[in-house]
Amino acid sequence: MSTGLTEMETPLRAILDRRAANRDLPPYRAALRHEIAAVLQGFFDATLPGATVADVKRVGGGASKEQFFFALTHEGETQRYLLRMDPRKAITETDRARESLLLDLMQGIVPVPRPAWTDNEARYFPQPAAIMHVVRGVTKPSVSAQKVSGLGTWLGPDYRDRLKDQFLDHLIAIHGFDWRGRPLPGFEVPDADAKQAARWTLNYWREIWRIDEGETRPIFALAEQWLLANLPDCAELVLTHGDYRTGNYLFDEDTAEITALLDWELARIGDYHEDLAWVLMQVFGTFDENRTFRASDLFEREEFIRAYEQRSGRTVNRKTLHFYDVLSSFKCYIICAANGSAAARSQHNHQDVLLTFLAAAAPMFADDLVRLLRQGEPA
Amino acid sequence: MIPTIDERLASIVRSLSEVIVPHLPEDASLAREQAGLIIGHVQIIRSQIDDAPAYEQAERDDAAALGQALLAEFPADRYGAAAMDALKQAITLTTSDVRESRRAINTAIEAVIQAISAGTCAASKSRLSSIILDFEDTRTQKDRKWFAPFGFDTI
Repeated sequence: MSTGLTEMETPLRAILDRRAANRDLPPYRAALRHEIAAVLQGFFDATLPGATVADVKRVGGGASKEQFFFALTHEGETQRYLLRMDPRKAITETDRARESLLLDLMQGIVPVPRPAWTDNEARYFPQPAAIMHVVRGVTKPSVSAQKVSGLGTWLGPDYRDRLKDQFLDHLIAIHGFDWRGRPLPGFEVPDADAKQAARWTLNYWREIWRIDEGETRPIFALAEQWLLANLPDCAELVLTHGDYRTGNYLFDEDTAEITALLDWELARIGDYHEDLAWVLMQVFGTFDENRTFRASDLFEREEFIRAYEQRSGRTVNRKTLHFYDVLSSFKCYIICAANGSAAARSQHNHQDVLLTFLAAAAPMFADDLVRLLRQGEPA
Repeated sequence: MIPTIDERLASIVRSLSEVIVPHLPEDASLAREQAGLIIGHVQIIRSQIDDAPAYEQAERDDAAALGQALLAEFPADRYGAAAMDALKQAITLTTSDVRESRRAINTAIEAVIQAISAGTCAASKSRLSSIILDFEDTRTQKDRKWFAPFGFDTI
């Protein structure tokens, strides 16, 4: 079912067409460990003869992938790997090949997991899959300090001080990636006009909303029209991460070193304000006992914007940032109210109960849209 | 009703919590997570089930009130007869299905928003935005309060 919102990156158009085409497939069942072990062994029998798979363990958490750790023994050496496999329908629709390509290119620029094998066409696995080398680290302190409230990860003052500079420097390094000098096959550049970057990303989200038959509400409809009428010019096209925030990187608990930036599947060439607004989303941050907000539990809002400007040399355009603030809440509303619910409704995911639980966060994003549209653009 | 729905839900929670979860293997992380979510879900359902029909009726009634406000503000002869007529019909639709009624009204409101946004009158767009924001400000606060037991919200 295509709804005519065709102006977006061609590979993303194909991903959304796949989501639409898969809507009527039969229910998806979470894979059992012995089934995954057999599939993995079959894959390695074909691609690395003599290798043996053992110790397959499911990884908890995550609403977008089925993940398993396993040990692979080959020529007397044993190494641990992570299998990331798409369910039939996830909370977002993405592409394993694009993610693996980026992870290869970002080696040595920022810390990222190293891809080992990719089966993007699901030739061996039941669904598209990638196998990654295992990286040490945690996404949140294993002994978490008292968190006041909210959905974001609470790091606490010690980790906050030790992680914030790395967090910012890695984001600036991603935005500084020389994508013109090192082209990204399969990625298209929104440079037909100055508004194309914003239009492409907005169209992607509008289209996935329609495919997943999100139930409209007045504030959502108003926000959609506001976004269409206020597309900003992009001053500089950069590589954006797409889901940059605490919770999407691993860090070493002893040294507080960020060991890997995760979840690159929404990366594209676009406007750096899109990443900045995502970092600044209230839902990914924390409020302390004084109601002070910290984005990703690292920076207060103005502190983050100023630090980004000082260290990157870029200017943060407040009107553009406001557009992407609205777009971020619009995206989160779609993810919770449409994408997750559609995956659960169609029984195409292994975590239906998690997805319907997360859908309860949608009113927060509807309220964010009210607040942001009422606040209006900065002068 | 014997047993009551609450008694049945309570027994599901207890069985899951005290019989099933303790027997799940320690490394069955997904199963343990999902069981925890099911328990949480069912407990919230227990606390909300009696009030759910009134909540859904209020959602529908708030949508209808917004629709009436739009009809009063934007006469059909000046702002697109088709969208306004559809909104009027959606509000007056006779059905016992409050969800269907809410959906129909919100879909009609969306069409009105699109029609006015496509126009050239800045004053109309500003008035439209003001009406929607006022109504949705109230509605989203009710929704946030309703879903607060899920623990995401800082409300």
